[in-house]
Amino acid sequence: MNIRFVAIAFATIVCTAPGSAVAQGFKPSRTVELVVHTGPGGGSDVLARALAVMAEREKLLPVRMLVLNKPGGNSAVAAAYLAEKKGDQHTIGLFTGVWLQTPLVSTEAKVTLKDLTPIARLVLEPAVIAVKASAPYKTLGDFIDAAKKNPGHLKQSGGSNTSRDNVVRQLLQKATGARWVFISFPGGGERIAALIGGHVDIMVIEPEEAGEHIRAGNMRVLAQVSEHRLSAFPEVPTLKEAGFDVPVVPQVRGMVAPPGIPKANVEYWEDFCRRLTRTQSWRKYIEDNQFEDGYQNAAELTKFYDEFTGRMRAILSDAGVKTVR
Amino acid sequence: MEILQGLWHGLLVAFVPANLLWCFVGVFLGTVVGILPGLGPPATIAMLLPLTFSMNPAGAIIMLAGIYYGAKYGGSTTSILMNVPGESASVVTCIDGYQMALKGRAGAALGIAAIASFVAGTVGVLGLMLVAPPLARFALSFSSPEYFALMTLGLALVVLLAGRSIVKALLAALLGLWIASVGTDPFSTTSRFTFGRLELLSGIDFIVVAIGVFALGEVLANMESPEAAQLLRVPKGLRNLMPTWQDLKDCRFAFVNGSVIGFLVGTLPGGGSTIASFLSYGLEKAVSRRREQFGTGVIEGVAAPEGANNSETGGALVPLLTLGIPGSGTTAILLAALVLWGFKPGPLFIPEHPDLFWGLVVSMYVGNVMLLVLNLPLVPLFAQVLRTPAYALYPLILGVSMVGVYSVSGSAFDLMLLLVFGLVGYLMRKLDYPAAPLILGLALGAGMERALRQSLMMSQGDLSILVSRPISAVMLALAALILMIPLFSKFNAWRLRALEQ
Repeated sequence: MNIRFVAIAFATIVCTAPGSAVAQGFKPSRTVELVVHTGPGGGSDVLARALAVMAEREKLLPVRMLVLNKPGGNSAVAAAYLAEKKGDQHTIGLFTGVWLQTPLVSTEAKVTLKDLTPIARLVLEPAVIAVKASAPYKTLGDFIDAAKKNPGHLKQSGGSNTSRDNVVRQLLQKATGARWVFISFPGGGERIAALIGGHVDIMVIEPEEAGEHIRAGNMRVLAQVSEHRLSAFPEVPTLKEAGFDVPVVPQVRGMVAPPGIPKANVEYWEDFCRRLTRTQSWRKYIEDNQFEDGYQNAAELTKFYDEFTGRMRAILSDAGVKTVR
Repeated sequence: MEILQGLWHGLLVAFVPANLLWCFVGVFLGTVVGILPGLGPPATIAMLLPLTFSMNPAGAIIMLAGIYYGAKYGGSTTSILMNVPGESASVVTCIDGYQMALKGRAGAALGIAAIASFVAGTVGVLGLMLVAPPLARFALSFSSPEYFALMTLGLALVVLLAGRSIVKALLAALLGLWIASVGTDPFSTTSRFTFGRLELLSGIDFIVVAIGVFALGEVLANMESPEAAQLLRVPKGLRNLMPTWQDLKDCRFAFVNGSVIGFLVGTLPGGGSTIASFLSYGLEKAVSRRREQFGTGVIEGVAAPEGANNSETGGALVPLLTLGIPGSGTTAILLAALVLWGFKPGPLFIPEHPDLFWGLVVSMYVGNVMLLVLNLPLVPLFAQVLRTPAYALYPLILGVSMVGVYSVSGSAFDLMLLLVFGLVGYLMRKLDYPAAPLILGLALGAGMERALRQSLMMSQGDLSILVSRPISAVMLALAALILMIPLFSKFNAWRLRALEQ
C-alpha cells in the first residue's frame, strides 16, 4: 500500500504538469505503474527499480515510473492483475520465465502471456554449472560418469521442479542416461549454502552469483548453459562444446502490457524498450549482472513464446510434471 | 590487533557527519516502520533504493542497515499496546507484553523491550565484529537435517506454551501446521487446499493469521462483555512508566539468552527472527523459577524475544557479508543494493572493502545508542494510548490491524482472511484453546516440512539421516527432553499426593 500511496502522490504532481497525450501516437500522461510478481528484493523487483531509475536518468519517459509489487501464486497474481487492467494505458508489467511456466502446471493460474499484450523481450540470463572447489569432478563429463556409476546418489540443489535448474538436469539426464537427485530450496542463498557446505554435489547458478565464490576458491565451474562463452568465463566450455548437445534453456525477462490496449501503445512501449537497451546505463547493468541482451519486439516475442511453451510442455511431461494447458 | 585497526578505520567512516546523519535517518525510519504493523523493512528499503544511487555507498549501507535493525525496536510497540504484532518477529512479544499492558504495566513492558533490544543489538554487532568468518563456516555445516531438528526443537516448545490442557495446545499446533501446508507444494508444484483460489497459491501470510487470532480475537471477545472493557489503568508519573530495578534484575538471564540465541539462529541462512524469538521465549520459560506465571504478564517474557529478534540482525549480516548469502527478505534486498552500487558481495567482500564493513559495524554501535535514546522517551508517550476509552480503542485496533494486513500484500482477499482468523481467534478464546501454539505451528510448519523432505531426498528415504548427524541428534534429543517435562511434573504431582497419603 505504501507504494500505491506514493504512486498516487506522484500521480497528482505529474497530472498538474502541462502535457497532452492526444495527437497521433501514444504518450503516457501520468505515472506509469510497473507491475512485478515478486516482493521487494526479488529479482524482478530489483530489475524494475533499476529500470525506473534508468528511464529517468536517460529521459526515456515523459512521466515517472513506479514499481507495484503483486506477489503470490508464482506470478499468477500479477498476471491476473494485469488481465483485470484491460485497456489501461498506464500499467505495464515485467515478466520472467515463471510467467510462462506457471500457467502450464497450475489450473488456478489462468492468465498466460497470450491473454495479455506481449511487448518485448529484454534479457536472457545465462547460467553456469558449478561444483564445490574440492569436488573430484574436473569436467561435466566426470560428473555424469560418476552419476552413471551410482544412480540416484549425487544431488543437485535448485529452485522448484519447474525451474530452469531442473529443466537443465532433465535434459542432461535424458541425453546421457545418468540419474541424480534434485532437491528444491526456495531461497537462492540456501542453494549456494548447500553446495559450498558440501551437502549437495552440483548446482545450476547465475554467473554473477558464482563469480565471487569462484574467485574466493569455493566453487568451480564445469560448463555454461549458453549458446556462446560468456566474457567472464572464457575458458569454460558451453554445454555443446563439452559434448552435450542439449537445447539451451534461456531464462527470459521482458515487458508485457494489459490486454486490449491500442496498437499505438504497443508501438510506444516497444520503442521504449528498444531505446532503453541502447543506453549506456542499460549496457552497464547487463554487463554487471552477466546478462545477455535478448531484445525481441512484440511479434518475435509471440513466436518465441509458442516455441518455448511447446518445448517446455515436453520437458515437463518427461520430468513427470502434469501440464494442464 | 587487526580488529582494533579495523575499528579505528570504521570510526573514521562512521563519524563523518554525513554518515552520522544517514545513520540517524535510517534508525528513525526503522523505528517508524517497526511501529506500523504490516509495512516492513524490505518494502521500505526497496522504496528508498533509487535514492541511494546518488549517495556514497558507505552512507547508503549505513542508512539501509539502520532501517533493518531500527524496525526491530519499534516492532514491539503495537504488540504490547494493542496485541497487534508489528512484525512477525514480535508475535511472541504479544503473549506477555499485552498481559502486562492489561495490568497497567505497559510502560515497563515498552521500556524493557527497548533496553533488551539495545543490549542484544549491541551483542549482535559484537558477534558480527569478532566471530563472523569462523561462525559463517560453522553455519554452513547446517543443512536440511539440522534445520529439521531445529524446527522440531521449536515445535516441542508447544508443551511450554500450553495453558491448562496439553491436548488443546497440541490441537491448536496441528491447526497451525495445517494452515502452513496451504499453497503450492514446493517440490511437486501441486496446489494444496487452495479451493481454486489464486490468492491461496502462495499460501497464507503468517502475519495475517497472527493479527487475526491475537488482535481481532481479543477485540471480539472484549466487545461481548462491555463491563470488562473499562479503561485500562495507566499509572501517573514518569517513574511508574519505566521498568524498575527489580524488573531489570528479573531480566538478567533473558538479556543473555535473547542475545545468544538470536545471534546464533540469525547466522543460519534458513533461520530467521521469528524462530529466534520463539526459541528464546521457550528457553526463558523452561529455566524460569516462575514458569507457571508466563503468559500472565512476566517481564522476562518480553525481554527474551525482543532481545533475540534484535541480535538476530547482527547474526543475519554474518552470512550476507562473509559469504554473500542472504537468509531473509531484508538481507536479500541489501544484497541486491550492494550489487546495484557496483560491489560484488561474497567471501572476498570484507577483505577488499574493509572501510565499508568496519564503517557499518561502528555505525551499528552508534545506531543502537541512537535507538535507545530515541525509543525510551517515547515510552510514556505511547503508554498514553491506553487511556483511550474502549469505544475508541477497539475500533482503533481494528483499523490498525486492517491497514497492517492490507499493506503487506495490497489484496482485499487477505482482509477477508483476517476476518476469518479473527473469528477463529474468538472461538479459541471461548473454548479455552491457547493461541500461541497455533502461531508456533504456522511459523515452523512450512520450513519443517521442507527440511524433512529435503533430508529424505538426500538420504534416499533413510530416516536415520536425522539422528546420524551429531548436531541434529543433539537437538532432537533436547526436543524429546522438553516433550517429557509435562510427564515429569505429572509424575511429581502423583508422587506428592502419594506421600501425603
